[in-house]
Amino acid sequence: MKTSTPRHRRVLKGAAGIGVALTMLAVTACSGGGSTGGGADAQTDSGGAITVWVDPPRVPAADAFKKAHPEIDVTVNQIDGTVGGKSVQQQFAQFDQAGKGWPDAIFFPSNDDIAWATSSQSNYAADLTDIMADTIEGYDPAVLSMCNFDDKIRCLRNDAAPDVFWYNKKFFDENGYTVPTTWEEYSELAVKIAAEHPGKISGFTGDAYAPDRYLWASGCPTNDRKSETEVHINLSDEKCTRAQDLLATMYDGKALSTLGIFDADAATVGPDMVMSPGALWWGDYLFNQTWKIPAGEMSAVAPLAFDGDSKPSAGNEGGGLWGMSSHIKGKQLENAKIFMKFVATDPAWQVDLSTGLPGYGPVQDAWIEKQKSANYFADNDTTFAAFKEAASAVPGDHSYMLYNTGGIWTETMAPSLVSGNSFDDAWKKFSDELVNQAKTFGYTITEK
Amino acid sequence: MSQGTIAPPQAEAQSQPPGRGLRTKRQSAAGRRKLHQREVRGAWTLLSPYMVLLLIGGIIPIFYAVYTALQRPATPVQPEGGFGGISSFVTVFSDFRFWQTFGNIFSVLIVWLPIMMLGIVGLALLVHASPGRFGNTMRFLYYIPGALAGIANLVLWVYLLNPAQSPIAGLWNVMGLDTIKAVVATDGNLPFILAGMLFFQGIGTWIVVVNGGLNGIPDEVLEAASIDGANAWHTAWHVKLPIIRPWIGYAALMNLAYGFQLFLEPQLLDQVSSNALPDQTTPTQLGYAFAFSNYNFPAAAAMSLILLVITLGIGLLIVFRSGLFGEEEK
Repeated sequence: MKTSTPRHRRVLKGAAGIGVALTMLAVTACSGGGSTGGGADAQTDSGGAITVWVDPPRVPAADAFKKAHPEIDVTVNQIDGTVGGKSVQQQFAQFDQAGKGWPDAIFFPSNDDIAWATSSQSNYAADLTDIMADTIEGYDPAVLSMCNFDDKIRCLRNDAAPDVFWYNKKFFDENGYTVPTTWEEYSELAVKIAAEHPGKISGFTGDAYAPDRYLWASGCPTNDRKSETEVHINLSDEKCTRAQDLLATMYDGKALSTLGIFDADAATVGPDMVMSPGALWWGDYLFNQTWKIPAGEMSAVAPLAFDGDSKPSAGNEGGGLWGMSSHIKGKQLENAKIFMKFVATDPAWQVDLSTGLPGYGPVQDAWIEKQKSANYFADNDTTFAAFKEAASAVPGDHSYMLYNTGGIWTETMAPSLVSGNSFDDAWKKFSDELVNQAKTFGYTITEK
Repeated sequence: MSQGTIAPPQAEAQSQPPGRGLRTKRQSAAGRRKLHQREVRGAWTLLSPYMVLLLIGGIIPIFYAVYTALQRPATPVQPEGGFGGISSFVTVFSDFRFWQTFGNIFSVLIVWLPIMMLGIVGLALLVHASPGRFGNTMRFLYYIPGALAGIANLVLWVYLLNPAQSPIAGLWNVMGLDTIKAVVATDGNLPFILAGMLFFQGIGTWIVVVNGGLNGIPDEVLEAASIDGANAWHTAWHVKLPIIRPWIGYAALMNLAYGFQLFLEPQLLDQVSSNALPDQTTPTQLGYAFAFSNYNFPAAAAMSLILLVITLGIGLLIVFRSGLFGEEEK
């Protein structure tokens, strides 16, 4: 005899079964969310208290602000500073859903973050064109070009990070090599050095800045924003293929490392790098602090030119962006503006503490004087002259987009190259993925 | 990182008190109903704390996901969201990464599940065949890696995988891999690395579960087998294995379901290899990207519902086909 009817038991078992399976999925299902568009219109005023978000290297900036402005009630939150990380974007997506919770000012951990922060879904970053006009005036427009969206300035540049051309002067002098002045000479010499001094390399391809270093410098349309929904991508453009050929030649000549500059393993390979285009912050941050290359070896010259081009062209690697909330007003907005102005322009941060060349023009010379006194570079004068010159060599038709070109580069090129595929195969993977990713964000892609 | 969320089922078939059938036969129909009602009430009382959690953490989010999936995301072209019908499912199915992510999961499952099942059954039988202190010690040792918290476990793995520090650096060097990026990102390595991580993390718990099934085998059965001349091998193969078959099926299906929810391991391996892995290796990572990179919450909800259907299917299979819930299939 049974204690219940078969049918009854089947129902119970069905319920149990569904319960079992539902529990297993509880975690996954939690990712569902609402669907309202972000950018609530109502602006709020806290009465003056502000909250700012900074990544770990920018904590001293916030501390300096507190010291300079004890009258302002400021809460400083330290956030995940991983370049290419998603956690900040995730939190903002949730703030947009909730319609509250945004910080009043933020240092974006990745420059690409400015793309979603200015998108119409989020619309977090305030238009600073009029409300901070006096600060914006102090910037070279080339330095602020990545903050310019449809003729509105939506962020302030912390530091300028154009590429210069780095080389190991000691090595060059000892072996009688001449510093190249064109990209083509650079590639030829790289292959020659790799053959004559096996193990010596002339560049890194494995980090998210690598496409900025080579493709951006070449003017290759990967991030040529036409409007909020339209982008010009064409990797078979002559300006892309010349960079591709250059890299392929050097890669086949064993002159490039598949590591990225930030890889822990790069510290052992770094001292073997004899030359490379690279951001001006490589000098102190990479060579001096991270790779511990002795003083008096590394030096920089002005960016290289492509054969046939009249002027040099350089990429740009980072150079952080400060954004301010569009959701505040009144005293809170006034204080947030004071904060923005301080971190972008005040010598107490920009000259005394910041490791990068200030984006804000009027404090650049003071920073250069201070950095010069360290006497780290082999040819101090040429190096710092190159720093100042480089910003104008960066092609302007390059915006930060919702897709992450650097991330796509690392996840296609690196695995393909370490698996032993040819450079052109890896390039094909990169190019396909770039177009596919851009489409998933809803961009219309034009080839011209 | 727990290995699924259901407690192991009890061995109902063995725990049935003898003579129960006789007692119920003597009771009147009314008494039976009363007893039945009391049982049902008791069951619901015991279940209620769980039901509350299930409601908050499972059922309500699922209905919300269904609602969300039927919306249309706000886009630059159309900043106002609204009802979108099944368009979010179309977005998900036509995404160029959708089938790739399932392909990635299958390549992990193909490597991992067979090793996992052989490991669970083999080690559980060995532990059960070694009674006393030795067996208990081994069971504890097997359990340790799974008891480590997820992050600690991952740090250990990063240490193992990095040729610059690894105690098995020799193996990596023989394979021509000299950086952690090369180890993780070289074509075809990832399924094996993930299989290794999942194996050591989960095996201990499942040995305990299957061992529980083995302990439920009555001593008389094993005695009878040995009287009939069965050695340890015969007993394991012809007696123990057929009896614990439902547990093995249960373990296989639960692990299968777990495999579909892979998120943390590929996400963190991507970070330690300087982003050399695709950000959307698995379906859950793709769902995450829909929500937080593409700002497409409806597509993220649709993706989680697709995963819900898969794991719900596996869950129903466990309940109706494994023979662990209810006795009449036996």
